[in-house]
Amino acid sequence: MALETLAGVISLASNEIGQSRIDAVKNDILKLFDSIEKYDDGTFYFDEKVDGVGPLATTSSVVQGLTAFASTASGRVKLPEDNILGLTKYFLSIGIPGDAKEFFNQVNSLSCLENSRVSVPLILALPATVVSLTNKDKLKVRVTTALGSRSPPLKVKLVRAFISGSKDASVIENQELIFDSEGAFHILDLLPTSIDVGKYTFVFEIVLQDSEDAKVYVTGGQTKVPVYISAIIKIENAEISVLDSDLGSVDTQKKLNLGKEDDVSLAANHLQKLRLSFQLSTPHGHAFKPHQAILKLKHEKAEHIFLVGNSGKKFQVILDFLGLVEKFFYLSGRYDIQLSIGDAVMENSFCQDLGHVELDLPEAPEKAPRPAAQPDDPFSKYGPKAEISHIFRAPEKRPSENLSLAFLALTLLPFLGFLVGLLKLGVNLKNFPSAPVPAMFAILFHVGIGSILALYALFWLKLDLFTTLKALGLLGVFVMFVGHRILSHLASTSSKLKSA
Amino acid sequence: MARSPLILVALISLIPLLCHSFSPETPTGRRILVLVDDLAVKSSQSLYFKSLSSRGYELDFKLADDPKIALQRYGQYLYDGLVLFCPTVERFGGSIDQAAILDFVDSGHDLIIAADVQSSDLIREIATECGADFDEDPAAMVIDHINYAVSENEGDHTVIASDNLIKSDVILGSSKIEAPVLFQGIGHSLNPANSLVFKVLSASPATYSANPKSKLSSPPALTGSAISLVSVMQARNNARILISGSLSMFSNRFFRSGVQKAQSSTKHEKSGNEQFLTEISKWVFHERGHLKAVNVKHHKVGEEDEPAVYRIKDDLEYSVEIYEWSGSSWEPYVADDVQVQFYMMSPYVLKTLTSDKKGVYSTSFKVPDVYGVFQFKVEYEKLGYTTLSLSKQIPVRPFKHNEYERFIPAAYPYYGAAFSMMVGFFLFSFVHLYSK
Repeated sequence: MALETLAGVISLASNEIGQSRIDAVKNDILKLFDSIEKYDDGTFYFDEKVDGVGPLATTSSVVQGLTAFASTASGRVKLPEDNILGLTKYFLSIGIPGDAKEFFNQVNSLSCLENSRVSVPLILALPATVVSLTNKDKLKVRVTTALGSRSPPLKVKLVRAFISGSKDASVIENQELIFDSEGAFHILDLLPTSIDVGKYTFVFEIVLQDSEDAKVYVTGGQTKVPVYISAIIKIENAEISVLDSDLGSVDTQKKLNLGKEDDVSLAANHLQKLRLSFQLSTPHGHAFKPHQAILKLKHEKAEHIFLVGNSGKKFQVILDFLGLVEKFFYLSGRYDIQLSIGDAVMENSFCQDLGHVELDLPEAPEKAPRPAAQPDDPFSKYGPKAEISHIFRAPEKRPSENLSLAFLALTLLPFLGFLVGLLKLGVNLKNFPSAPVPAMFAILFHVGIGSILALYALFWLKLDLFTTLKALGLLGVFVMFVGHRILSHLASTSSKLKSA
Repeated sequence: MARSPLILVALISLIPLLCHSFSPETPTGRRILVLVDDLAVKSSQSLYFKSLSSRGYELDFKLADDPKIALQRYGQYLYDGLVLFCPTVERFGGSIDQAAILDFVDSGHDLIIAADVQSSDLIREIATECGADFDEDPAAMVIDHINYAVSENEGDHTVIASDNLIKSDVILGSSKIEAPVLFQGIGHSLNPANSLVFKVLSASPATYSANPKSKLSSPPALTGSAISLVSVMQARNNARILISGSLSMFSNRFFRSGVQKAQSSTKHEKSGNEQFLTEISKWVFHERGHLKAVNVKHHKVGEEDEPAVYRIKDDLEYSVEIYEWSGSSWEPYVADDVQVQFYMMSPYVLKTLTSDKKGVYSTSFKVPDVYGVFQFKVEYEKLGYTTLSLSKQIPVRPFKHNEYERFIPAAYPYYGAAFSMMVGFFLFSFVHLYSK
């Protein structure tokens, strides 16, 4: 920000400020550029460790100040080319910032760089770095300025192309790309070359046709671009077989259709071996080693993974069950076979179930390791539980009602017998007192006894003990009084009779 | 003069009521601390952060090694949620460390962790404490040669388009996520013994975790569907943790880009990342799936009050109200699998409660004929919902002496005997006194 204000001041008072002062500012700018930081992929930026001000804001303010200064000051400001290109790449690599203010900073800085008098950076970019040999794609390269406008006439040269990570000599050297003026692309046709599938690093160089342009434009020397060349890989001679261990003779052999459907079923015991083999070759006929060549044997309790090794074009894996018995936790049963072959440059990668093999392994000894627990399906743990309703204790068995009624009749028999007996004895009521007062007492006495019995019946039916006892107390006193009178009367009459 | 300090104190005491902080009444907290490795993350994941702040959260962005950061001060937590978007941090600044973060979760707060390639050991250890084991090789990435996202610029098949999502409406929202979700990062596996953590976005059977730049020398440790790309844990105190193996999954670039899965010809205009991450963040911050149960009532059929004791073979009714937090208010929760147990050492009765669609769940049953001290237990556990664990104790007594059956037909002989005795006595009293 300081630079921008300074540029503004200078532009207003351009004539008066002495050259020495401007040189001083130029030196300061160079010193500022010493503190430039860089990321690993060649982008440069400024960072100030101030809260809230990110690197984007800092870098953009430096760039804006610099270009404003350069446009007003006379003479060139000598800055290393890498820095300019690095700053441009930084602004381009951020993507689209979320904040509107940061977005403005980014676009403003890019346009300052584009229009600046310091040097205009030229960006080399490939719209597609994944090229398919099977689809007969052509490699396209585009060179533009930072904001996408056309570049001056130039040629793009492919200096070297070599397999990434290897120290082999390069496959292509010094090939010029053909310029397609319609789409403004530089095109490299890969078919005539002997490039096979793989991950390559292509090194491009921009050659300006007009040497005057070199003063204005910055090309950045050689640019390394990783390119993936992919194709459909041919799979041949795939077969799976069970071999007898010592002799190596084939027990069962089945052909496989890798890449399409397969469902073989084999059976083996622990003395035999399982062999899987196939051949992979690239469109140009060379051997191909994919990144992922995995054979999986899946049991319901455990899973085992093996890598498929190769020698040249032929891929083969032999599983010797005798040595693997302990690794398989001595689990016999059905193992599903799954083969996965894949690579970044293989267009027809597949992960296929080949079928199953019934393995017969010996029994596990006492101390054998157990397989790890398999995870449960989360939904099965969380379901509602089964309903429980309490089963009540059955009541004790009671005799049938008829039986009870029969016994009721039986208990009433003695009563009937009593009545019959009384009649037989010839009972009578002759001794009932005739005089009214004793008769009244007699009647009251019997009424009292009857009411006490009725009270008992009532207690059985619904009363509780407290009311019953209260009533009984009252009735008892009454009966006692009345009974005393009648009984004493009866006793006196009978003694009168006896004495007379 | 004595009035003004009093008024001041009264005003100050009102301030706690004005805070919108995490409490049992409002489970969605407001203040979230976001720790990042460098502030460029704030702008490259800005769409995601905007989705959070548009729902009312206050995001506080800090660098992970800023010496002034702290989760709590004087025993009070300063934040209600923590987002760790700092996969390469070696040591946190300030007073935050692994133990402080785990304490934060133990006190019921939510956490989002994003790891990425070259994650530091610190982030891996925090994830392991939460139940997710990342691949031990720091340079390993998840690679899938069949389900990768077709792209003109990235040829090493590390950007995966996955649509193996968990089938749960409460976690992922009720609208289906049509487009696959883009993912580029590391994978993890879940400990099978851990019952609290589960996979939300899992990998296909062809996926494996390895360093894309070097050849495989031994079978990879993580392969197939056992790899989880994004998983989620709900702790027993209902704190929720989201663990993702990719920080770039949250980036604006992935949110906006179209997706075409390899070996398929459907091109989706927009990836499912934005919908997936917005919905799952809603779940993590308790805007969905947070239940509360109130108003447990039980009484005898026909009565209104809650008795202190039940008698065996009584008919009783039990009811409870369950509400779900919708982000701003409590809505009635409707489900058909809430169950109540009548429990003493083991459940004697287990019944499913019927809902009246307004949040009240009720049922009725007969008290068993075993007496003792029982509990009404509601243990509700459903994937994605907080666990409800209610228990109310109630004693059950046997019959009183006057509650047994009377007038049993089997006793008729006895009744007959007694009454015939009484009648006989009455007659006998006449006969004995008056006959000659």
